[in-house]
Amino acid sequence: MSPTSIDRREFLATIAAAQGAFVLGFWLPLRADAQTKPGTVWYEEPATREVNAWIVIAPDDIVTIRIAQTELGQGVWTSNAMMVAEELQCDWSKVRPQYASANRDAREKAPEWTLNVPGNGAQDPKGGGVPTFGNRDRVGVSGIPDSLYRRMRTNAASSVKDGRYYLQLAGAEARERLLLAAAAMWNVPVSQLAAKNSVITHAGSGRKTTYGAIAQRAAETPHPHPETITIKSPDQWTLMGTEQKNLDVPSKVTGQAIYGIDVRLPGMKWAAVKTCPVYGGDVKRYDFEAIRHMPGVRFAVQFPIPDPALTRGRIFSGGVAVIADSWYQAKTAIDKLPIEWDIPPVNAAFTSANMRESLLTALDRPGTVRASQGDVDAAFTNATRIVEATYSTPFLPRARMEPGNATVLVTNERVDIWIGDQSPQETRFSASRITGIPETNVHLHLCHLGGGFGRNGNGPQAEHAIMIANAHRGTPIHMLWTREEDFIGTTYRAMGVAHLKAALDADGWPIAMDVRTAMQEGGFGPEASFHVTSRYHVPNYRYSNHTTNFHVPVGTRRGVGQAAHEFYRESFMDELARAAGKDPYRYRRELLARTNLPYKQDMITALDMAAEMSGWSTPLPKGTARAIALEERGAEGDGMATISAMVHTVSISRDGKVKLERVDVAHETGFGLVNPLSVKKQIEGQITWFYNDAMHQACTIKDGRIVENNFHVFPLSRINEDPPVINIRFFPTKHWLVGMGHDRATSVQSAIGDAIFQITGKRFRDLPYAKHDLRWT
Amino acid sequence: MAFELVVNGTRHTIDADPQTPLLWVIRDQVGLTGTKFSCGIGQCGACTLHVDGRAVRSCSVPAASAIGKPVMTIEGLSADGSHPIQIAWKELDAPQCGYCQSGMIMSTLALLRARPNPTDADIDAQITNACRCSTYHRIRQAIHRAAELMKA
Repeated sequence: MSPTSIDRREFLATIAAAQGAFVLGFWLPLRADAQTKPGTVWYEEPATREVNAWIVIAPDDIVTIRIAQTELGQGVWTSNAMMVAEELQCDWSKVRPQYASANRDAREKAPEWTLNVPGNGAQDPKGGGVPTFGNRDRVGVSGIPDSLYRRMRTNAASSVKDGRYYLQLAGAEARERLLLAAAAMWNVPVSQLAAKNSVITHAGSGRKTTYGAIAQRAAETPHPHPETITIKSPDQWTLMGTEQKNLDVPSKVTGQAIYGIDVRLPGMKWAAVKTCPVYGGDVKRYDFEAIRHMPGVRFAVQFPIPDPALTRGRIFSGGVAVIADSWYQAKTAIDKLPIEWDIPPVNAAFTSANMRESLLTALDRPGTVRASQGDVDAAFTNATRIVEATYSTPFLPRARMEPGNATVLVTNERVDIWIGDQSPQETRFSASRITGIPETNVHLHLCHLGGGFGRNGNGPQAEHAIMIANAHRGTPIHMLWTREEDFIGTTYRAMGVAHLKAALDADGWPIAMDVRTAMQEGGFGPEASFHVTSRYHVPNYRYSNHTTNFHVPVGTRRGVGQAAHEFYRESFMDELARAAGKDPYRYRRELLARTNLPYKQDMITALDMAAEMSGWSTPLPKGTARAIALEERGAEGDGMATISAMVHTVSISRDGKVKLERVDVAHETGFGLVNPLSVKKQIEGQITWFYNDAMHQACTIKDGRIVENNFHVFPLSRINEDPPVINIRFFPTKHWLVGMGHDRATSVQSAIGDAIFQITGKRFRDLPYAKHDLRWT
Repeated sequence: MAFELVVNGTRHTIDADPQTPLLWVIRDQVGLTGTKFSCGIGQCGACTLHVDGRAVRSCSVPAASAIGKPVMTIEGLSADGSHPIQIAWKELDAPQCGYCQSGMIMSTLALLRARPNPTDADIDAQITNACRCSTYHRIRQAIHRAAELMKA
């Protein structure tokens, strides 16, 4: 069978026969339950009729819950399922998540009853919060208004926040219809029935039935007034709010979980790529003849810079793919492939040093003013003391463990893509644009992701694979980046600088503050942490953003704006407290207390609790210090917010070795955390993530290229750098959270800086700290 | 050139260049995908498996080096998750994205064979695999728990 002339139907039949694992859309509606290969997670046509778009109940009571976000370690596979199961009142042990169909999401409209957000916003426990993506704009790249699952993107720590009310509604609607079906079967009023653990009971007669037994009737029983269905408020939760282990963990300890990289198709060929190491560069020429003879090599494909319309305006690089029977053969060959690059000289001229200079210069040019209160300039003339500091943060990649990859089959009729993806609808849009095949015929088969850490952390992996597969229609192509290519293919958190300047009165309290931050045009989160108003009271306040233009594609790396900006803000608060001769905890506390911020009491509670947990005032051995910081998102308004505070206990040996000894975390729950275990895990992980950022990580630019492009030069913290003690305590608050999967533990950065200052007397304001001389005597 | 490998107790005839890294032979020829590729230079440990009872970073050793020696991958530990290390991992809910965990578990197996009662210092010294989700806090607890379970 020639892999390049494979017949579509023959191919599908071959897949089904060889693996019994693939149900491709409506083409082969095999009985999914009997066919599934262990570990596969993508959407399959159900063997029995679904109750609604989220829920399929099989005769054996197994409940399949469709998940519209991608599991990449944040626990969404479990928390989304919990929100549905809470209302469905099914047996949790029989819940099996599966990815929702991106094609159905595009094809079908959301049920009317899921569209109205209940309650009165963020401060109503019976409310649903306000989904960020409730009203989306067209086209393709931004999603589809009122599509079946509302949003299939996985980003902004918003899966729980945005999905909660309509996932609860989906569970409630199904439960009500199961009850209606049983009532009709027994000819009793539905009000006499109760549902619990997948069993429906009629109290009067003692009759019982199971969800599995009644599900097909329920599927045929519409709800007469679905708009009247309400969801449980947190005081009624029984499953939500309890610690539940992640449902995907069993498959992840046996090696059975299927990530994109694990997809295998009959006749599949592998592609390794090399793209121009300077962004914006392209291939001038390459010599395939030099490698044509190498083992397994089939062909080469040159591909252009992915259309910026498909990559949100970001300019990546053009490149060459070598396709071979195995990936290692393709990779070995492409390493020997002579390629001459066409590199824009202006891009090749960038270095970290000249980029930093450029950002510092930008600080002195007019910027975008995002807050302006009082008369800052006048207040500075009345200062007893002026404190100012300049901080900087480097370019940082996501560097997720699974390198970018996608498996794509293009035929003249349709496109099939197997991928771990945080933006499935955008990938379908890309596939349609690249191949000219209508979006309705682009089918995605979603896999788990080996880490995400930022929407489209994937970069143009899908676009590369689609371009390659489109050049050889009929052959399934699995494109896999090397680690080095992954460093080129990702987007970066923008390099940043900040200048903070404060006027203090005679008692050391700030009377004016001028904050300027700079990052390149298109950098994400410029408003974070400083906009609208100062989190710490100051009567005269100005905040402005300043930009310049660089060639590095930037994106939403974990923490987005907060990660760098809370480092700037909290570091500066430590410096002000020390300049004022005051305790950094009490200094912060007093300045929060003087504000009118809606959640100031929650912020004070967080600081008090973290300080108390840490034994803030108790003595520490020489060479060990504590530092505290506030973490907030949304504190400037009365919408959703997430607030925490941490105290970090840090030791530094005389020869300059830093150890994060202990972290005390006070974190709000809002009205309720859906899965507190998942939240704990996210906090634990983010502590060492930001320790890693603070101490080690930086990507520098030389001759326009990313210098640190594999793990021998881009260091990852290991278990020896994980703090031995992490104490996490939650406190209730009266609003809904905005999410917590990406901007917690940013405090590690400022805290280590202040601990270094306390122990060594040296103040370093540019990350990472490990590049500095931290020795002391 | 064909050669033979014994993987998880099963003999496989491999039709590949014996200089191919063991990782790719295991994933592509043997067809076991639990062992992961991440850095390709032996730095991160996602590709850790056992050759002759020793933990090996399989992206950086040729398949030829495993000829005549038993190879064990994550799939060989137990398919149903009943090995004490897997049980401990599930008890602690250790994985997040899970991509590094096969390697992490195989490194732990090597550690516990050498040191059935590992100290935290042993763990720091011997478990050098990278986890980008930084699940280390639970991994450390899971290693101690696995040590208990393996003695039971």
